[in-house]
Amino acid sequence: MTNTLTITRKELLDVRRNRFLLVVLAFVLIAVVISVVVSAGQFRVKLDEYTAYVSALTASNNSATPPPPQLFPLQLLRGSVEYLEILGALFAIVLGHGAIAKEKQRATLQLIYTRPVGRFALPAGKLLALAMVWAIAVTAVFVTVLATLAIVGHATFAAIDMERLLITALTTWLYLVMWTAIALGLAALTKRLSTALIIGLVLWLTVVLLLPQIGDTMDPDNQVPGGLFASLQIAKPDEKAVLAHFSAFDTARNALEVSSVTKHFERFTFAVLGIKDQFNQQPLGVVWAGVWNNAVSLWVAALAALGFAFATTTRTALMRRTS
Amino acid sequence: MADIAIRTRGLTKTYGDIEAVIDLDLEVSQGQVFGLLGHNGAGKTTTVTMLTTLLEPTSGAIEVAGADALRSPDEVRRALGYLPENVQFYDNLTAMENLRFFAHLSGVQRPDDRIREVLAYLDFTGFEDRRLGAFSKGMRQRIGIAQAILHSPAVLFLDEPTSGLDPEGVHQLREVIVGLNRDLGMTIFMNTHLLSEVTKTCTSIGILRQGRLVFQDTLEATRASFPDNASLEDIYLSFVPAVGA
Repeated sequence: MTNTLTITRKELLDVRRNRFLLVVLAFVLIAVVISVVVSAGQFRVKLDEYTAYVSALTASNNSATPPPPQLFPLQLLRGSVEYLEILGALFAIVLGHGAIAKEKQRATLQLIYTRPVGRFALPAGKLLALAMVWAIAVTAVFVTVLATLAIVGHATFAAIDMERLLITALTTWLYLVMWTAIALGLAALTKRLSTALIIGLVLWLTVVLLLPQIGDTMDPDNQVPGGLFASLQIAKPDEKAVLAHFSAFDTARNALEVSSVTKHFERFTFAVLGIKDQFNQQPLGVVWAGVWNNAVSLWVAALAALGFAFATTTRTALMRRTS
Repeated sequence: MADIAIRTRGLTKTYGDIEAVIDLDLEVSQGQVFGLLGHNGAGKTTTVTMLTTLLEPTSGAIEVAGADALRSPDEVRRALGYLPENVQFYDNLTAMENLRFFAHLSGVQRPDDRIREVLAYLDFTGFEDRRLGAFSKGMRQRIGIAQAILHSPAVLFLDEPTSGLDPEGVHQLREVIVGLNRDLGMTIFMNTHLLSEVTKTCTSIGILRQGRLVFQDTLEATRASFPDNASLEDIYLSFVPAVGA
């Protein structure tokens, strides 16, 4: 345990002084803030259009008052969550890969392993440090998002909103740690570091971008902006009746989507934040009943990734591949 | 007879069909500076990685400082110091932070005091708070030696220690190696193909040829057993013919 903490301390010090990583984390932070500002701006435009519409009605002596657009601040986080799931995963791969790559390239692995360190001290120390780095980064991101929503969106938050944000932050942390562990394991597993990075990036491209995108493209409701059924003014029960005729197609589409752990992360966080309309303003119990399977899938994937990292980053395995 | 610091019996390492080290029987007595010579690819680095417990042999036995490397590897690790070829350390960390990290891993008590003591012994003070990114190859090599002796090991393994050093760096490192052996009685095992270094630092030598130990003796006995004025190069080449010879 002492050696694990020694490795953790060294890793944290190294990361803290790594300018490239600091720039990368700052980039994520800025991207997330910009997405919140843009979303808040879009809402204001919607509000202005509503005000103009009501003024026009009043000017034409029409007393009808349509319901104003409602602001659900957490829904403004859609873009931020998407940035974290795409860019965050990419940076997690770079971080995890670098943690092992630098030891291999600098021959410090041989120095560490000629010390009486435990079998799992290296992966445990590295993963603990990187998990702490992500905890700090995710906290910074969500605190900044909260501040941006409050300042730009003039939003107020109830205790339940804070709970939803906390759950989302924890889920994001788990998701990023998972990608870090995968990259760390790959860097330990392969003899050539470039091979590990390429495999990691192909995995990222497939799981984070391709599979969810193919699933989205196959969704009939996504064929028209605003939704196919909504634009055809088809009511929800009728929509379900139509889709019942395409159940095999929809099952295949869904299977494709759920084969991506990123989709599980997205479905869960979108539900918790109420970005998905069916879960908006619903109690957390209802949300959990609807998306618990996504949460479990994410946890299983994260535990499998950690297991992979621990299994590949042992003294015997690493020295076999660096000799 | 002096106690044995390093002993191997039938040590063999194969990678598929390739035999890197074959049936190596080696003995290095305590207090010796042993130079393992051989062409590139002769199996020197494979031998040292097995002796330092980094690589499991295919067969055979290893004993370092009286401990069995296969049964009690941690005991061997506590008794050895190691400086691999071209080690670069962590550029973002200062010399002190780098050394503190390895001191903690080695279980050194009061690491900061010990680091200062070792750096003073190596005549390398005043650089503790500088990051290694700004260090020359020679300075890094000193830090490398410092990390290897922090825990006062009985045996020090050096893999091509003069590789990439300028003549001044080579001279300084030679002084350090000789000093460690003379002042601290440390057994030193080094891989090299610089015969001039062997002449100036080693007390005994071994010659590896295609994974096999073809010669081992003290430097003094080696010279005595060869015709007059035979240089170490002549002796070496008589065991390991030059490519194309």
